[in-house]
Amino acid sequence: MKINLNSPKYLVISLCIFISVFFVNNINSAEGGPCKDYGECDEFKYSLNDVESLQRGASTYINYCYGCHSLKYSRWNRVAEDLQIPEDIFFENLVFDKSIKPGDLMVGAMSEESVNWFGVAPPDLTLVSRYKGDDWIYSYLRAYYEDSSKQYGVNNLVYPGTAMPNVLLSLQGNQRLVCKDVPVIARNGGEKRDVSGNTIYQEKCGFLKVEDGTGKLSKEEFDDLIYDLTNFLVYVGEPIKATRERIGWYVVFYFLIFTALSSLLYREYHKDYNK
Amino acid sequence: MQEKDKTRRKVLIGLTSAVGLSGLPFVATPFIAAWNPSAKAKAAGAAVKLDVSKMQYGQQIQVAWRKQPVFIVRHTNESLAGLDLSLDKLADPNSDQIIEPYKGLNPSRSKNPEYSVMSGVCTHLGCSPKYHPEVEPKAWDASWKGGFFCPCHGSMFDIVGRVYKGVPAPTNLVVPPHMFEGTILTIGEDKEL
Amino acid sequence: MSEMAGKLFSWVNSRLPIVNTFERHLSKHPVPSKVNFWYLFGALAAVTLIIQIVSGIWLIMPYSNTEEQAFSSIEYIMRDVDYGWVIRYIHTTGASLFFAVVYLHMFRGLLYGSYQKPKELVWIFGCTIYLAMMAEGFLGYVLPYGQMSYWGAQVIISLFGAIPYIGESLELWVRGDYYISGITVSRFFALHVVALPLVLIALVFLHLVALHEVGAGNPEGVDIEEYLDDDGVPLDSVPFFPYKVLNALVAIGVFMTVFSIIMFFFPEGGGYFIEMANFQEANPLVTPEHIAPVWYYAPFYTMLRAIPDPLGGLIVMAAAVAIFFIVPWLDRSKVASIRYKGIYSKIALTMFGVSFLTLGYLGTVGVTEIRKTMSVICTIIYFSYFLLMPIYTKYEITKEVPKRL
Repeated sequence: MKINLNSPKYLVISLCIFISVFFVNNINSAEGGPCKDYGECDEFKYSLNDVESLQRGASTYINYCYGCHSLKYSRWNRVAEDLQIPEDIFFENLVFDKSIKPGDLMVGAMSEESVNWFGVAPPDLTLVSRYKGDDWIYSYLRAYYEDSSKQYGVNNLVYPGTAMPNVLLSLQGNQRLVCKDVPVIARNGGEKRDVSGNTIYQEKCGFLKVEDGTGKLSKEEFDDLIYDLTNFLVYVGEPIKATRERIGWYVVFYFLIFTALSSLLYREYHKDYNK
Repeated sequence: MQEKDKTRRKVLIGLTSAVGLSGLPFVATPFIAAWNPSAKAKAAGAAVKLDVSKMQYGQQIQVAWRKQPVFIVRHTNESLAGLDLSLDKLADPNSDQIIEPYKGLNPSRSKNPEYSVMSGVCTHLGCSPKYHPEVEPKAWDASWKGGFFCPCHGSMFDIVGRVYKGVPAPTNLVVPPHMFEGTILTIGEDKEL
Repeated sequence: MSEMAGKLFSWVNSRLPIVNTFERHLSKHPVPSKVNFWYLFGALAAVTLIIQIVSGIWLIMPYSNTEEQAFSSIEYIMRDVDYGWVIRYIHTTGASLFFAVVYLHMFRGLLYGSYQKPKELVWIFGCTIYLAMMAEGFLGYVLPYGQMSYWGAQVIISLFGAIPYIGESLELWVRGDYYISGITVSRFFALHVVALPLVLIALVFLHLVALHEVGAGNPEGVDIEEYLDDDGVPLDSVPFFPYKVLNALVAIGVFMTVFSIIMFFFPEGGGYFIEMANFQEANPLVTPEHIAPVWYYAPFYTMLRAIPDPLGGLIVMAAAVAIFFIVPWLDRSKVASIRYKGIYSKIALTMFGVSFLTLGYLGTVGVTEIRKTMSVICTIIYFSYFLLMPIYTKYEITKEVPKRL
């Protein structure tokens, strides 16, 4: 095959291949996975147009997280407005400190002294979805397990040795690491079978399992709760994300039309010297 | 060139330019909007609340709203009664020349007859007038009935901020949006507006 | 009224060569009639420069160059300033695309010999622009004062420390502090928003003046000045306006489409345009788990890593950029365009391109044994392309270049 370097085709094709190699080898996945002992992070798909999910997430955040974790780049009234909660209802139900004014930043409710309780200051979480990623948050909050060797009796598969206790324990229930029999995977990717055709099982450990009846929520309900919470954190990480994607379609459409028209015009003039 | 081609070119030039130019306002929007007061500026400029019940009669206090002085005066009955005495000295006693929501409301120009709330920025060139409640002859006015005097250019206002005739300031002091909830005065917000 | 305006115009024009300059450099400026898409990236680079300057000016307004507020002022722009996010994303996307466009523009130069006599100065000004851009990009990346800003700057400034004798004091002098502090940020800010943009604009001006003196090239490598019409205008040329302008307009349309897709749907570019760790405020006590430069420095960063010694790494990295400057004197070929050069040139250029991209890829991922070997091999190929150029261009068999376009 003769490679013609002058043809735009080859440039486009090679660039596409190159870019796809780049993006498949995402910075994170190339480094043994950010979710550590958990393995691959669970995939999280945000839905920033689901205002109800965001509202539930905001409520969970303020009730369970805001006591320690500020959102110091975000403003109360902006959250109320973006989440379509009327300001008076929002301030009545979600803002516990009555001296807070609508336009204030969400600087947290923690006093200076209590910072030392955990050995490290609980980080501000405004941008956590941007530096950790939503997959990570979604996995992390569901990966706590009982570990009596730790200070708070819990550890986390995604973030081993985490300094944060499981504040959602009463909702989730007691999660433990269990062992179970799983099919052995053969080299060809299928399940390994013995001579009589039965699948071969092998005991593997490190699976998360919630003790029945210990939590207020079922597994599905708890996953939904964490979904909403993560969704809220994605929103708070970039409040204009939904707007940005909406406006984007119009802008791209505009430039496509402009390109089409200018290319017709160019071709028309091109005839002058290229008959 | 053929006539047909010429028209085609003209149409295409027109369409391309029209589409191109129509994009300009949209490109300009973020750059223009970025100069609006930001959320931070708006939060800092939010309404100010204070309890005015502790003010003494005849006292004037100054609070900052949007980093600008706002004067609050608690009037005595005498000073309110004396308002009519200097009517003929005023340029615009009924605030007819300015647009404001509190026009004709109480002699005090506020939502509470006992108090006046007004911007402490002279309508001439923006200095802050001084409060001189005493009814006594002054260097600037031998028959002074009490009010505000601007040290910059000598503008005079009565105790509810109405401008005198023949001074540099063209209009009365501006009354900012305000409301009273009991004795709590809110400056910068009026739920009835 | 129009008579007055006409008089005023001719008054000015007889004192300032408006019409002449306009006709000579814009409207009637002759450009080769047959060029391909490779010849459009220069115009796109100019457009991007303007985009960067305008959005940059608007970012200066709300940005704060102090240690305490640099990071939070970026979030202030992203949240509190009306449409601040649009302006910031224009600037971040523009930065990456500026480099993309310039890399393609430079590759065009290598492809069609755009550095050959008499275009040596055009090429050298271009290389200087690229150098200034690298500095500009680096300084700009420090300004948000995120983790990547801090640690990226830490690594780059430490390079100065590798210089013998003066290294350590030079490092301290550049920072003006014992770590990269607000003092460092604010001097970088001054350089990023005033000094280097002035240098860039001046260089772009020189690049264009020199180009207009010698005339634009074409993919055939034909000298169009050989055949002129009665007015002295090259036969194989068309006036800049409207032909070249319309061509550039199409390119701008395509470019802006790509620009807006990235800006509105993938502003972080998967962590390559805005790195994830840069959403965390700089912390001089904690290094992020994975330090990678932004993609446009990645090839040079890989070379730096490939050499075990910091000073050696610095020299290799600097040489990799510096070697571009002498390309006009390395190429001994009788022909300019790759179309008429021999097979060795074609192989060499392809290998160079592949090694450059591979180096870029390697710079963004972690180091493993095999990747390290690959970096060394690619670095060798990279330099071989230049250093062997005098040999393979001189002795290979070239094709006959046509007389006309």
